[in-house]
Amino acid sequence: MMTRRLGRVAATTVATVLVAAGFATAAMASTLDTVKERGKLVCGVNQGLQGFAAPDAAGTWAGFDVDFCRAVAAAIFADPDKVDYVPLSAEERFPALADGRIDLLARNSTWTMGRETGLGLTFVGVTYYDGQGFLLSRSAGTFSSLELDGAKVCVLSGTTSEANLADYFTDNNMAYEAVLTDSPEATLTAYRSGDCNVVTSDMSQLYAQRLKLDDADEHLVLADAISKEPLGPVVRQDDARWATLVRWVYFAMLDAEELGIASDTVDAALASKKPDVRRFVGAEGGFGEQMGVADTWAVDVVRLVGNYGEIYERSLGEGSPLGIPRGMNQLWNRGGLQYAPPIR
Amino acid sequence: MKRNRLTAGLAVVGLALAVIAAAPFFATPGEAKSRKELVVDEQPGYVPTPEEEMLPAQYRPQPVFFRTNEPVGTIIVHTNERFLYLVQGNGQAIRYGIGVGRDGFQWQGLLKISRKQEWPDWRPPPEMIQRQPYLPRFMAGGPGNPMGARALYLGDTVYRIHGTNQPRTIGHAVSSGCFRLVNRDVIDLFARVPVGTKVVVRQSASL
Repeated sequence: MMTRRLGRVAATTVATVLVAAGFATAAMASTLDTVKERGKLVCGVNQGLQGFAAPDAAGTWAGFDVDFCRAVAAAIFADPDKVDYVPLSAEERFPALADGRIDLLARNSTWTMGRETGLGLTFVGVTYYDGQGFLLSRSAGTFSSLELDGAKVCVLSGTTSEANLADYFTDNNMAYEAVLTDSPEATLTAYRSGDCNVVTSDMSQLYAQRLKLDDADEHLVLADAISKEPLGPVVRQDDARWATLVRWVYFAMLDAEELGIASDTVDAALASKKPDVRRFVGAEGGFGEQMGVADTWAVDVVRLVGNYGEIYERSLGEGSPLGIPRGMNQLWNRGGLQYAPPIR
Repeated sequence: MKRNRLTAGLAVVGLALAVIAAAPFFATPGEAKSRKELVVDEQPGYVPTPEEEMLPAQYRPQPVFFRTNEPVGTIIVHTNERFLYLVQGNGQAIRYGIGVGRDGFQWQGLLKISRKQEWPDWRPPPEMIQRQPYLPRFMAGGPGNPMGARALYLGDTVYRIHGTNQPRTIGHAVSSGCFRLVNRDVIDLFARVPVGTKVVVRQSASL
C-alpha cells in the first residue's frame, strides 16, 4: 500500500516534469506544429530501391519506407497522401535531416551508435532487421551457413561484407575462397557462370539480386544473419515530442498486428470490448490528444495504410516480387524480433 | 459395385478439380483474415503430377529465422500463417508450407507425436461421409490416398500431421483434415522427428 502511494506520487512528479519539458520544447520550433501548418509531412526516402522506396510508372511513391511516411501522415492528418517525398542519396540523407529540409528520414538507414552520438540524430526504432546473409542454389540442399565449408563466395570488394565474410569463416574454422567483384551485376554474372556458388551481401539485397536470376525460385537465402543491420526511421535529436509521435506510429502498427487489427478488421475493432483494443482505437486513454493528434490516430494509421504485417507483405513479403520471409521481422510472439510496448 | 464406385469417384475428381480451378490456387502467406476456406472434396485415388507437387517457393521447405525458447526438434504450427516450423536451434527453424483443415483450427496447445505411420490407411470420419456419401468407408494406404505418404499422430486425439494427394490445398484453410503437407515434405519431416516430439499449435489473436 505504502509503495503504491509512493509510486503514485512519483508518477505525478514525473508527469509534471514531462509537461514542463513539453513546454520547453514547444518554445523551440515544434516539428509537429510546423508539419501541421505546412499541411504536409516532408519525408526523405531512397532515390529508388525496390521494395523500400521507388516511384512507379505514374510517379507515385511506393514501398516499405514510403508506407512508413504515409502512416505518420495518416496519424497527423488522417490522410496518408499528405506527404512530400524528397529522394536522397546516401551522402545527402543525414545532412538533409540535420539542417531541417526534411521532417523525417525513412531511407533504409542502419542504426549505429556513431550516427546518434556524432550527428545529433535519433533512430526511433528498428522497422526492419536486416543482416548479411548467403544466397545459394536450393539444389545444394544446404540449410545452414555452417555447412558452407569450402565454398566459393562472391562478395563486393572493399565493403564491410568482405570483412564480415572473412570473420565469419575464420570464427567457424571453415575454409572458403572469396571471389571479389566490383558491382552487383558482376556478382550475378560470376554466380550464373559458376565462378562462385554462394553470394554474400545484406539479405534484402540478396533477395533483390535473386529476382534477377531466371530461375529465382531455385535459389534461396539462408536464415543466418552474420552481421547486424538494423534499419529504421530517423529524426532530429532536438524534438523529443516529435520522436515520440513517430515512434508510436511504428509501435501502433506492431500492436495492431498483435491484437489482430488490420485494415479490413478496423470496424470490428471499433466495436470490440477488449480493453487493449479499446485503448488502441482511442475509445479509452486519450493518448492521441496527449501527442497532439486525434485520438483516432492509430485507427487512421491501420485503416489508411495497414498494420505492420500488411505493410511488410505489400512491399517485401512473400506475396510481393521480392519474396522475403518475415524472419527476424516477424512479431516477437511468432518467432521474430518485432516487439512493441503496449498502448496504455 | 466396384465399377460404380470407380465411376462415381472419377466424376468427383472432375468436380473437385473444377472447384479448385475456380479458386485462387495459392494464397499469399501472412495474415489470413481475408482468406476464405477452400471447399475441396476429397479425391481418393487421385495421384498428383510432379508438376502439381512443385509448390510456389514460399511453401517449399526452407530455413528461416525463428526465435523460440522451445527445445531443438520441437514442431511449432502457426495455423494462420499456414506454416509449420521445425526448431533447429541457433535462432532458426526449417519452415514447411501446410494446409490447415477444420480440425486444425479447433485447438491450440501442446501435444506429443504418439505414433508414426508410413502410407497410413484412411477412414473418412462420419461427418465427411455425410457430406460425400460416395466416399469409401476404408481405403488402404498408398499413392492416391488422401492421407498421403506419412502421418504423425498427435497424442490420443484425432489430430495428425499428414501428407496429401491434393498439393493445391497447401497454403489454404481447407474443408477437412488437420495439418497437411505435400508428400515429399511430409516424408522429409517424418525422417527428422521421432515419436515423443513436442508439437505446439498456435492460433492468432481474435478481436
